[in-house]
Amino acid sequence: MRRERIVLVGAGRAAAAAAATLRREGFDGDLVVVGDEPHPPYRRPPLSKAWDGAAPCVDDLLVRDAEWYGTNAVELITGTRAVALDCASRQLTLADGARLGYDRLLLATGGRPRRLPGVRGDRIHHLRTVADAAALREQLAGDGPLVVLGGGFLGCEVAAAARASGVEVTIVEMAPTLLSRAMSPELGELFAALHRSRGVTVLTGERVDSVVQAGDQVVVRTCAQVLECAALLVAIGISRSTELLAGTPVACDDGVLVDEFAATSVPGVYAAGDVAAAHHPRYGRRVRVEHDDNAVRQATVAARNMLGARDVYDDPHWFWSDQFEHNLQMVGSPEGHDRSVVRGSPGEGAFSVFHLRGDRLVSVLAFDRGRDVVTGRKLVAAGATVAAEQLEDDAVDLRRLLRRQGGGPS
Amino acid sequence: MGAVPETTAEGADRVGSWARALDLDELWEGEMTAVTVGATSVLLVNVDGQVRAYVNRCPHQEWALDEGDLDGRTLTCSRHLWEFDVLSGEGINPDNCRLTGLDCRVEDGAVLVRTG
Repeated sequence: MRRERIVLVGAGRAAAAAAATLRREGFDGDLVVVGDEPHPPYRRPPLSKAWDGAAPCVDDLLVRDAEWYGTNAVELITGTRAVALDCASRQLTLADGARLGYDRLLLATGGRPRRLPGVRGDRIHHLRTVADAAALREQLAGDGPLVVLGGGFLGCEVAAAARASGVEVTIVEMAPTLLSRAMSPELGELFAALHRSRGVTVLTGERVDSVVQAGDQVVVRTCAQVLECAALLVAIGISRSTELLAGTPVACDDGVLVDEFAATSVPGVYAAGDVAAAHHPRYGRRVRVEHDDNAVRQATVAARNMLGARDVYDDPHWFWSDQFEHNLQMVGSPEGHDRSVVRGSPGEGAFSVFHLRGDRLVSVLAFDRGRDVVTGRKLVAAGATVAAEQLEDDAVDLRRLLRRQGGGPS
Repeated sequence: MGAVPETTAEGADRVGSWARALDLDELWEGEMTAVTVGATSVLLVNVDGQVRAYVNRCPHQEWALDEGDLDGRTLTCSRHLWEFDVLSGEGINPDNCRLTGLDCRVEDGAVLVRTG
């Protein structure tokens, strides 16, 4: 009998998780991972965080060491882009002309940084790959200043890392507050204050009109001023890598559309990670999540479903951000909440915010209180009903609230 | 009499000196605590009477593990939610890392740990 073959496109976090799951679940056919970067799958989150000493080394970031792929009979084709997909004959064509037949396919191509149209130069940086991170670090090794365009998580993390290593940094954000896409204005203000207290210049509500590299300088004209810097990081989000799917029946809309089983519109084809726009049963709508943990969990579900399971992916989503010595974590989504409860002391540092809809906990945000998220994540996932007064009371062990969910009706 | 060897899976041939880390009755079942032994911050855990000792640093980014959460035999680091099986020291998520185990035994009601 012909051996089955599963191909994973995009050698990132999602593909690595899927490969490990497929082998763990007993898939013994051919397993091929194809990626356009020259490395085995590696962890991207550290690229934007704490810059201690030398530039990032991919060997320190690998999800699995290189031997793992051999030991587990996973064929790893790196440095090679997949350029064409024929869903009818189930064939993938690679940039070198090779054709790979598949029985099932996982699209885990991730995304690439959005660029400013028409802006070019070796001092204009983006950050997605380890090569991007190395180039930025190398250029800032002398001195700055650095301008970060975009006050989202990526921009803020790089600003913090660069500032902590002594670089003069300015963040320019068009929205009125930092982190405005995912966080409340209050939290954005808290982070702006944190950055300012460390010497970062934070410009919010400021639109960029033009960017030009002239010699060794980048000149950034905003609606209010002219900034000159040695390097500019453009951190204005990603666009999803779906070029491969043009002309195929795989439905896309700023991402690969998948259902709650991580399945696309084409039988046998799945998608996970940053590239996927998934129907999320918990939120009753389509969501795209650009976080490491989501890539791992969604790809794990996709892999199991490729082997015939019918697992639903309804993870409430958890992410973290490290800036300076501070740690922010969030689980769930506050959308539709009608009540917020604070635990801890926002004025003095560590605190958590619990969002409730009715008496149901829908999300937890923790600033330097990760422990609240460890239990909070379980409470959110369980759809736990909780009493606001108990969440508020630091003396109440959250684990007690979790145990209470177990037996009786909630 | 009364010596109950409790040894972690790794480090059996490690040299170093044994030191009294804590009285066992200060480490309840299902609990964990950090103590300083010599110059080392040591995480002690008690899972249903089985005591284990680890270097109190997450292998991810060296965050202190005693600030995390112990649920049964699963320890979750509070910083980035890495999970470990504290009986074996093996990583659960991710599954390709492990805690740094220290030799440990309970003797006459005291938890002894070998560091160095």
